[in-house]
Amino acid sequence: MRALLVIIALGFALAILVSIPAGVVANQQAASRITSTLGNTITQTEQALNQTLNQITCSLAPSFGGFGFTGSGSSGSRPSGGFGGSGSGGYGGYGGFGGFGGGSVAGEFGAGAFGGGRANPMNETLYSNINTSISGVAAVEPILQVSEGKNETVSFYGHSFTRLVPQYIIEGVPLTSNLVDNYPILPTDIVSGQNLQAGQTGDILLSQNNSAYFGVGVGGTVNILGTNFNVVGIYQPTGVEDTEMLYMNLSDAQTLTNNTGYITSINVYAQSPSDVSSVASAIGSLHPELTVSTAQNELSALEKNQPSSNNAVTAAQDSLASTNSTAIEEIIVVVAATSLIVLFVMLYTVRERTKEIGTLKAIGFSNSTVMSQFMLEGVLLSAIAGVVGIAIGVVAAPRLASLLLPTVGRAVGFGGAPGFGLASTVTVSPELILIGFGVAILLGTLGSLYPAWRAAKIKPAEAMRYE
Amino acid sequence: MNRPVLQLEKLGKTYTLGKRTVPALSNLNLTVTAGEFVAIMGPSGSGKTTLLNMIGCIDKPTSGQILIDGVDVTDLPENQLYKIRRDKMGFIFQTFNLLPYLNARENVELPMEGRIKSKTERTERASKLLALVGLSGREEHRPQRLSAGEQQRVAIARALANDPAIILADEPTGNLDSQNKQGIIKLLANLNAMQGTTVIMVTHDGEAAHHAERMMLLRDGKIIREKPGTHALKKNMYAPAAGTPSN
Repeated sequence: MRALLVIIALGFALAILVSIPAGVVANQQAASRITSTLGNTITQTEQALNQTLNQITCSLAPSFGGFGFTGSGSSGSRPSGGFGGSGSGGYGGYGGFGGFGGGSVAGEFGAGAFGGGRANPMNETLYSNINTSISGVAAVEPILQVSEGKNETVSFYGHSFTRLVPQYIIEGVPLTSNLVDNYPILPTDIVSGQNLQAGQTGDILLSQNNSAYFGVGVGGTVNILGTNFNVVGIYQPTGVEDTEMLYMNLSDAQTLTNNTGYITSINVYAQSPSDVSSVASAIGSLHPELTVSTAQNELSALEKNQPSSNNAVTAAQDSLASTNSTAIEEIIVVVAATSLIVLFVMLYTVRERTKEIGTLKAIGFSNSTVMSQFMLEGVLLSAIAGVVGIAIGVVAAPRLASLLLPTVGRAVGFGGAPGFGLASTVTVSPELILIGFGVAILLGTLGSLYPAWRAAKIKPAEAMRYE
Repeated sequence: MNRPVLQLEKLGKTYTLGKRTVPALSNLNLTVTAGEFVAIMGPSGSGKTTLLNMIGCIDKPTSGQILIDGVDVTDLPENQLYKIRRDKMGFIFQTFNLLPYLNARENVELPMEGRIKSKTERTERASKLLALVGLSGREEHRPQRLSAGEQQRVAIARALANDPAIILADEPTGNLDSQNKQGIIKLLANLNAMQGTTVIMVTHDGEAAHHAERMMLLRDGKIIREKPGTHALKKNMYAPAAGTPSN
């Protein structure tokens, strides 16, 4: 009974002993992931923004799409609402902060995810004067962006709602030679085939995800809303493009989605970066209904974001350092506690069995035999406790580690939110199991050394008098 | 005359209690020859147990000499003494001192462990010894499933394990009822008569002591009187070839 309690106590100590290093490893992984994720996001966005410093994005102010009831009319065309509810359709946000909010044209199903807005369609002809009446404008790129996907019916307080789960996004861009040759209207990282060329119709450029979704490669045909397109190339998104976005000629997109004469946003290119703000305000006064945003706005937002990202990285590293020092302190305490448990239990055992030891010596046991007997007992106890401890550790390591160690994600403020994929799971590796068992044996040996020596030194004549 | 198995010469022992030195034994001379059954009696504090511990090599004298089987063990270091205890002595204790987690046979095998390599040989010998003390069929019983008398029989079998020169019995009947007392004393007397085992027994029990060949009375660390016990007279009843050890 006592042996059982001791084994459980030792087992827990050893479980803690294997959980702490497992927790440290998990935290290291989390910290390096935070560092690289934030680092990548910032670099990619910076690159993207530098390409588009001359660019001004105009769209109608997004309005909340709501959730249309099943049964309201659908034309089958659903212009996208852009990202994170900004409605600008612009820069892909900051590496996925904020969910994708699909939108819809008026009268359509409210496809926006919670918090998503929708872009209102714009009559293309109303905005042709941007090109002609504002000085400093180099080029204008009208865009039609439409999300396509499955309608998903959700039941909510007894009502059925339908929302769109986007599977691909049609990006219609005007394939004029000026725009294609001089402006960043198309993806740049073509991984197979070639890019769209000026004047092409009936051709399509897919992202890698699109290619996988449709199960089609370069040279194949893909049917989009009833029309066949030739796949001319496949690109790898660089952070600017959405990973589900496919590119085609604007006129193709308008016909296809029944949006002839309509667009969802306009990219205006200024002649030089210094013209951007005057052009932007000119557009604003010409078309006050438009939301105008510039790459410079985005860049300064990014720059504002930079220190907080840096802080997050620093916090992650600081937190890792404190995790490490906490872990070392705790390991010292647990090792000491484990050895002390073995020491006192074995001392108690020796004391309790003084008479037995005296008897063994009287009937001819040598000191070394008695000593090794007790050493063996201590080591055996620790070995059993080691097995128990590792079993507990394997199961409870995540819980024990989070109880005992400051967690990197928590310090940074992400709290290991699953959406970020930054939290690492605490697992006890096979190496750690072996090390844990070795440490158990070692501590058992150390802890029983003195008690066994005491046992060996017991004088049988005195032991006989001991009751 | 038989060879002496134990010679004590001018044996003295003093204990130190704080600043006081207490003499336990002084100037004690005793010779025991092979095959004798000696009973040592005396009141509490007379030095009986001290004497037995000296003979058993589990305590050291302050003066004098101890010879066992002709070997001077007085100044032997512990790493030699344990072999003397193992090979020359068999201990029987008042409280039996069996290991509770071992069965009867395993308890008997214990002293053989350092001496007989073969496990089967040890097991066979232990079973034979248990048969000799009348415990055939109880080899697998743990001490708590044996009566007090049976436990003491196991202890006697254990004492005989290595065929010792001397059996040392410290109040062997002290914890037994009168019926078991009789049985154990008879067993010791029989072993002495039939096997020629030398027995030195410390006891309070006059009746038990009377079964010995020699009775001696200890007081204040000295042998003050010695007389023959009844066993000496009856010895021919037990063993026709008295005095010739069978092994």
